This record gives sequence, structure tokens and C-alpha cells, in this order.
Amino acid sequence: MGTPESTTTGRTIRGRAAGLTDQPLTLLTVAVFWTWLVVRWTNDFLLDGALIERNTSFFPTAPFESVASTLGSLASSLGPVGFPVGWVAGFFEFLAASIPYLPQLATGVWATILLTVLGIALGFFIAVPLSVARVYGGSATRSVALGYTELFRGTPLLAQLFVLYFATPLTAIIRELPTVGTGFIPAQAFWVAVIAFMLNSAAYQSEYIRSALNSVPEGQLTAARAIGLSKVDGIRHVVLPQGLRYAIPGWSNELVYLIKYSSLASFITVRELFERTDAIASETYRYTELFVLAGLLYLALVLSASLLMEYVEDRVAIPGLGTTSR
Amino acid sequence: MSPPLLELDDVYKSYGEEQVLSGVSFEMDAGDVDVVIGPSGSGKSTMLRCVNRLTEINGGDIYLDGDCITDANTDVNELRKQVGMVFQDFNLFAHLTALENVTLGLRKVRGMDKAAAQEKGYEHLEQVGLLDQADSYPAELSGGQKQRVGIARALAMDPKLLLFDEPTSALDPELVGEVVEVMRDLAAEGITMLVVSHEMGFARSAASDIIFLDDGRIVEHGPPEQLFENPQAARTGEFLSRLTHEGE
Repeated sequence: MGTPESTTTGRTIRGRAAGLTDQPLTLLTVAVFWTWLVVRWTNDFLLDGALIERNTSFFPTAPFESVASTLGSLASSLGPVGFPVGWVAGFFEFLAASIPYLPQLATGVWATILLTVLGIALGFFIAVPLSVARVYGGSATRSVALGYTELFRGTPLLAQLFVLYFATPLTAIIRELPTVGTGFIPAQAFWVAVIAFMLNSAAYQSEYIRSALNSVPEGQLTAARAIGLSKVDGIRHVVLPQGLRYAIPGWSNELVYLIKYSSLASFITVRELFERTDAIASETYRYTELFVLAGLLYLALVLSASLLMEYVEDRVAIPGLGTTSR
Repeated sequence: MSPPLLELDDVYKSYGEEQVLSGVSFEMDAGDVDVVIGPSGSGKSTMLRCVNRLTEINGGDIYLDGDCITDANTDVNELRKQVGMVFQDFNLFAHLTALENVTLGLRKVRGMDKAAAQEKGYEHLEQVGLLDQADSYPAELSGGQKQRVGIARALAMDPKLLLFDEPTSALDPELVGEVVEVMRDLAAEGITMLVVSHEMGFARSAASDIIFLDDGRIVEHGPPEQLFENPQAARTGEFLSRLTHEGE
């Protein structure tokens, strides 16, 4: 029998060891989600529908429909007390109604992932110099970096998307590039969205990285300079490796935000998850099913991202360097 | 006759209105171990940081091996390759192991390849008695061990001059001994050291000269016997007797 004391100890130990294996349910969800995605994409994109015809679901709807109707009639025969059975019937109805749309949504998920990953990865390469300029730059570079950050954090992402898409020659330029919009290469709107997310998330990422750089003790750079490293090299070899580790939790937050903010790309016709959901819903009028489904897919993406970042954090952890204090 | 290894010539330093160094001049030869003492706020650490230009002086000149290192076109990174520094609060690179702390400068400043840098790194860790801790991170080391890694890191660059900025004052008393022992070994090996420290045992036995700094001026500069047994200035005697009493 567990005394309160032993419970506390158990929790502490679990808390300290909180690793990937500590969340079996999340792990299972993510594993099922990605297995489905990878099989679907392989079949639809690479094998040209060899396993199963494109846009045809892997799962038959008939069994779910029959379970739903059986439970439905059972519920009505039970009268007023049958409502819990009715709910279960409703769940199976939802599944039966959703399954046919899963293949198309999987294509949207692909675009959403690509948008988010490219946006955040490219943004990272802008964010690092921006944050270094904010912390270590002279007054001119500091103001430029600050101006950039305030501009992109201070205006709506949607407005940035519209300006880039409609008001700059960017769209026309990208359209003329070879291979854009052919085969696997998405059309110009997608690339405009990637550029917008890159510029926007760079501003947010640089804020997370800046505050992390500020938490690296000053003596670290002094010591680096004292052995003859230039300021730039000292930042690169001593300050950044520590600062970026401190930045991981905040940075993960930005990744999770961007997964969901990427839905704004639908406004400039990018065929990502939200756009696909909206398009199918307006054809079929199954708004509830489709948006619940889209929500669940976003949730699965976010869970995957959290799990991934937790893994990364564990991998790069260094004794005494803050991030492992969980 | 070869020039002194280090020469400070009428060095002035102020922070705004506050005058920290007011005309400091002294010389030391290769192989000398000079210990700088003085009340807190007397400018000891500032003087040390002027020598590797972590702090810029406002007046006077500093010469290393006959070259003026305080004029505008001195390459500070080149200078710092030749002048090592050991810090009061260690400042070990927190994300690197003891070995990597020692080899970072060798690889990124001296441009040595990894294998050669590691070999030299192990040598210097052995010199400070920490070969068995090569793969430990700073957070896994005791204060005394951290400071010995700090010394190895500075030594690895083969500096002409090693600066020590109160190397034992952040240590628990029982850990001071191991660091002082390493410093004594270095002094015996003929490494030129400029040490800000109130470790009187070390000053008495290892110092060639003691410099007593007060209020930004050198009050007395001479061999340990003179300062301890027969101080020329009244203030030196007062300060030393206070220090010795506190030590007991």
C-alpha cells in the first residue's frame, strides 16, 4: 500500500526521468499517426496509388456504418435511458463519415508540415544573427535588428502574407522559376507562404534566443576572449552552444504555434490542411466532422513536435546546463 | 641586455570620474613570479586585466617582451595568445568537458587538428593532476578541480605570461591547497606569473617580488623578505599585519 510519502518519492523520480517512454499514450498516438501518414504519402506520391487507389481510404466505412446503425436502433429501443448508447453510435457515425476524406487531408498535412518545417528552419538562420545583433551588436546593428523584430511581431501574419503575395513581385518571380508547380514542387503561393513564415518566425525565434543568450554568464565570453578568440568566434563557440540549449523550451513553443499559424496560408490559396478541410467541407456540408478531424490532425502534429523537441532536448543535454532540471 | 618580459610604464585607468590606476610602473623578467596584494578596490584586478587588454588603459604604456601592446594597432587576439589568464570564478566553458575546455583555444585559435590538440590537452590536464577528470563537465567538478582546469586551459596556449586574478578567493578553504600546490609547481618550472592573491604562504615562498598596491598606486615593491620582515612604508606593514591576523 502506498503511503503519501512513497507516492511523492515516486512522482519525483518519474519527474526527473521524464523521457519519451514515460508517455506511452502520446507515443502510441504519434506512432499510429505517422505510420498512417507515411504509408499514405508513399502510396499516393511515390507509388502512384499502387497499394490502393489515390483518394480511396485504407479503411472501409461499411463496418463503422453498420455498428452505428445497430447501436442507433438499440438506443432508440431503450428509450430515454439509451442516450449513452446513442453517443457511442454518434462516435461511430463520425468515424464512418470521416474516413472517406482522410486521404485528401493527408495530402494537406504534407503541405502543412512542409510549410512549418521550412518556415521555422529557414527562419532560424535569420533568428540567430538577429539575436546576436540584439545582444552583442553596436547601437546601429541593434536598432536594425530591433526594428525588424518589432515590424514582424507587431503586424498580423495574415497581412504579411497578403503583402508578399499580392503587393510584391515575389509571386510573379517565383512563378517563372523552373519546376515550380510541376510534379512534387508546389506552386508559387506555397513558396510565398514559406518566405512569409520564415520572416515572421525569425522575429519570434530571435526573441527566444535573445533572452537565452542573455542568461549565459558574461564571464563565458570574457574567458573565450582571454584565450585569444575574437568576439565573433567567442560567441560562436562558447555563447551560442550554451544559449541555444537554454532556448529550446521557448523555441519549441514557437514551433507549436507555427504548426497552427500555417493554416493562414490557406488565405493565399496554399493547399494545406486547413484549406483542404475547408474545401471539402463546403462541397459536402460536413463541416462538423471535417473540422473536428482537422483539429485532431493538428493535435497529432503538435504532439509529434513536442515529443521530437523533448527528444532533442534530452540528446543535447549537458550536466549543469539548465535544460535538464526537469 | 634583453628587455623585461613585462613592463608597465606610468599606467593610468579611470572609470568616468573614478581613478582606478594612477601612474603604475613596474617591470618583471621572464621566470619571475610577482604577487600583487592590496586592499579591495585598490585596482589589482583592473591592472591585471589591462595587461591582456580586457580593460583598456587611459594613459601610459605596457610592453610585452619589448613590444608596446597598448597602441592602437596591436592585435588583441594575438596578444591574448601570449598572455594566459586564470579567473577568480573559473569561467570554465560550461558546455564543454574539462578536456574540451583545454583544447578549444588550441583548435580554434592555434588551428591545431583535433588529435594533436587532445594530446596536448591531456598533457596539461596531467600537469594539474586531473587526467582522470578529462571527460567531466564543469558542473561535475569541485571548485578546486575547476580552477585547476582553468589553469590547464591557460597553460595550453603556451603563454609567455600567466595572469592569476584571485585564483583561490572563490574556493572553500579546504580546496585552496590543491590550487596553490599547482601554482607552486608552475613557479618552480619557471613560468612567468603575475598573481593577484592574498595567499600569503604562496607569496612568501614562491614570489620573486611582491607589489603592494593601494588606491591605484604602487606603495611598495620588493622581494617578500623585505615586505614581510622590513616593510619600507608604514601602510605596507599595517596592511600585512591585518592580513596575517585575519589569516590566523
